[in-house]
Amino acid sequence: MQADTASAMPPEIVCAGLSKSFPGGLRVLPPLDLTLTGGQTTALVGPSGCGKSTLLRLIAGLEAPDTGRVTIGGESPATMQKRGAISMAFQDPSLLPWRTVRGNLALALKLAHQPADPGAVDRMIALVGLAGFEDARPAALSGGMRQRAAVARAMVTRPRLLLLDEPFGAVDELTRRQLAFDLPRLWETRGTTTLLVTHSVAEAVLLADRVLVLSPRPARVVADIPVTLPHPRRPAITQEAAFHDLADGIFSALMAGAGQVPAQTAP
Amino acid sequence: MTRADRLGGGRFRAGITAGVGLLILLLLWEVLARALSGQFLLAAPAEVLSWLNAQRGLMTRALIQTLANAAAGFLAGNLVAIALAGIAFVWPRTERPVTGLALLIFCLPLVATGPILRVLLGPGNGPQIWLAALAVYYTTLIPLLVGLRAAPASWLDLVRSHGRGRWAELIHIRARAALPYLFAGLQIAAPAAFLGAMVGEFTGAERGMGVLTIRFIRAMDVPAIWALASVAAAVSILAYASIGWLARAVLTEPPPVILAPPRAARARRWSGLRQMLMTGGLALLLWWAAMQALDLNRFFAKRPGDVFDALFLAPDAGAMRATLGSALLETAVYLLPGYLAGLALGAGLAALIVLVPPLAALAMPLAVALRSVPIVTTAPLIVLALGRGAAGTTALVAVMVFFPTFVACLHGLRQAPGQIMDVFDSHAAGRLSRLIHVRIPAMLPAFFAAARVSVPAAILAVTVVEWLATGRGIGSLMALSASISDYDMLWASVVVVAVLSVLCHAGVAALERRVLRRYAPEQEEP
Repeated sequence: MQADTASAMPPEIVCAGLSKSFPGGLRVLPPLDLTLTGGQTTALVGPSGCGKSTLLRLIAGLEAPDTGRVTIGGESPATMQKRGAISMAFQDPSLLPWRTVRGNLALALKLAHQPADPGAVDRMIALVGLAGFEDARPAALSGGMRQRAAVARAMVTRPRLLLLDEPFGAVDELTRRQLAFDLPRLWETRGTTTLLVTHSVAEAVLLADRVLVLSPRPARVVADIPVTLPHPRRPAITQEAAFHDLADGIFSALMAGAGQVPAQTAP
Repeated sequence: MTRADRLGGGRFRAGITAGVGLLILLLLWEVLARALSGQFLLAAPAEVLSWLNAQRGLMTRALIQTLANAAAGFLAGNLVAIALAGIAFVWPRTERPVTGLALLIFCLPLVATGPILRVLLGPGNGPQIWLAALAVYYTTLIPLLVGLRAAPASWLDLVRSHGRGRWAELIHIRARAALPYLFAGLQIAAPAAFLGAMVGEFTGAERGMGVLTIRFIRAMDVPAIWALASVAAAVSILAYASIGWLARAVLTEPPPVILAPPRAARARRWSGLRQMLMTGGLALLLWWAAMQALDLNRFFAKRPGDVFDALFLAPDAGAMRATLGSALLETAVYLLPGYLAGLALGAGLAALIVLVPPLAALAMPLAVALRSVPIVTTAPLIVLALGRGAAGTTALVAVMVFFPTFVACLHGLRQAPGQIMDVFDSHAAGRLSRLIHVRIPAMLPAFFAAARVSVPAAILAVTVVEWLATGRGIGSLMALSASISDYDMLWASVVVVAVLSVLCHAGVAALERRVLRRYAPEQEEP
């Protein structure tokens, strides 16, 4: 099963007629149709409370849609979960405080029914820059280090679908940039489809192959922007005009989606 | 500096503080004893030590016996609590009946259940172990139920995102997340088990600290009573402290504040009443079935019907109700002021310590000692000091209620949300203003949780004092009925006291819901 998972093509994600309301009738998602190309990194950008996280949770199979369905490589989220093919990193690092960094990663392997692999765990910890902190408990780590550990935990199971819900929300700008350059290198080589929810336009441009801009609740896709910058992206890329054009485009789409006219194009 | 360093430093300082406080108390005790010498009230520490040295063989044998029974009851009661929590968690529908029955059984007055267990189980250690188990299981069950639900949603999402179900949640997340709550329960249970075993020994055991207590109270041997109280207190404090130490060694997170068990579902109208009736019916059924299944003699093993007959149908039912009623009234006169005073003192001292932090050095060791000293040994002492009237009884009830309230309120006062405190700081608000506007509202949930748990504790206290010392009220009536084999009266008193306890508990809970709806809506169900 392990070999089968690793060798398969990265899965395409199809959301068909997906809708969700919260108890009390608050409509979070209107019927939404969306296809995410396998192997790509897609960033979801939108104002707070627009339903980005709900969409992510529906795709992860953590919540059931009111109508419509999600398929991941043709399978239901529940099936993919059981195969250990989905991993999610949450807004708050959600590391178990009684386990060390190594223990938290080892638990993810166990939950995904994968064999214990101390070598892979330590390699992943080193990849996110936490070498030397394998035996530290979360309480002894800084906020940024906890976020790195949480992302490492999501990636150690070699998921075919990686879901990141604002994983760098609590990280300072410098660490955030650093992670944005480091992480794509990890998942490019793995045949993973990645979906990232973020507030940061720059982060979306740095990490994603495609940016979907959502309107305020209920969420509609107001812009679908391909990011054509070549991989791997280096820090110098933030000096280039192409980077800024993309960021401006996303920002304008965000403003337009929220019903505001971007300042520089106002008469 | 990491959090662990800060905790370590704080613990070290707390240790010093407790040591200094203990020393001051010992000095006060010695000075007071010398001042009062000749009144046969107070034995000085030196006197107590020399008595202990002279009688060390007797004391050691008694202590070992009582400790063994307390340990057996502690183990059994806590295992039952863990099993009940497991059942209530795995089948949520059983939670209300399980917690309801558990409360009812916890409210049975030990003073009466002791003699009844003695006739049911015969000579030996049975009643001591049973009473120790009965004294501990409820205070472990409730925190554990809270703890099993205390895991943040995203930890559970982690498990579910890998396609795993409730079992994986329980094994990998909830069981471990509940551990701090379990330890908190066990810590409260340790002195309670010792107390339960001693009460069990009052009912006609051959050996143990309880037997010695009775003997020395009869002989009015003041140094001996103080020696017993000191040993019992030392053992209880050690048990309390060592479980705390064990918890700190095992756990990486700070101890939790235990509030109400979260409600499984939104309560419908009348559902509370229906639940109560169902629990009552279930209790009657279990009672009857246990007596029938064990085929116990109707003379001392009464069935629900027998008690109903005795209270309402028998020729002397009216006289019996009158006796019970006047005893209850006599008890209530002492119980209510003591209960309210204990609550007020606990909350007041906690507030005072927040205003004047250095006071903690004196208050904390005294509070832990008051909590841990078995009430069966303090009862004669307080009555020696304050007499057999209202003052002594009321003071003991207050002491029993004081400690849980004090600890819970202190915890609640100190956990006021930091950002709100910052807002007050930015307006240069004083300590008093912060106390009134932020800390006291933040304290209310903890205060009410303590007020609820204190109801059975207060009733235990008042019945023990009435039985051992004052010879009035329902406690004395139960002891008297047991000694003259009036089992109708004994069982009727047990039923009435348990039902009244549960009703008082429900009354406090109803008040709590009204107040918290206004001050702490986040404690309400979503």
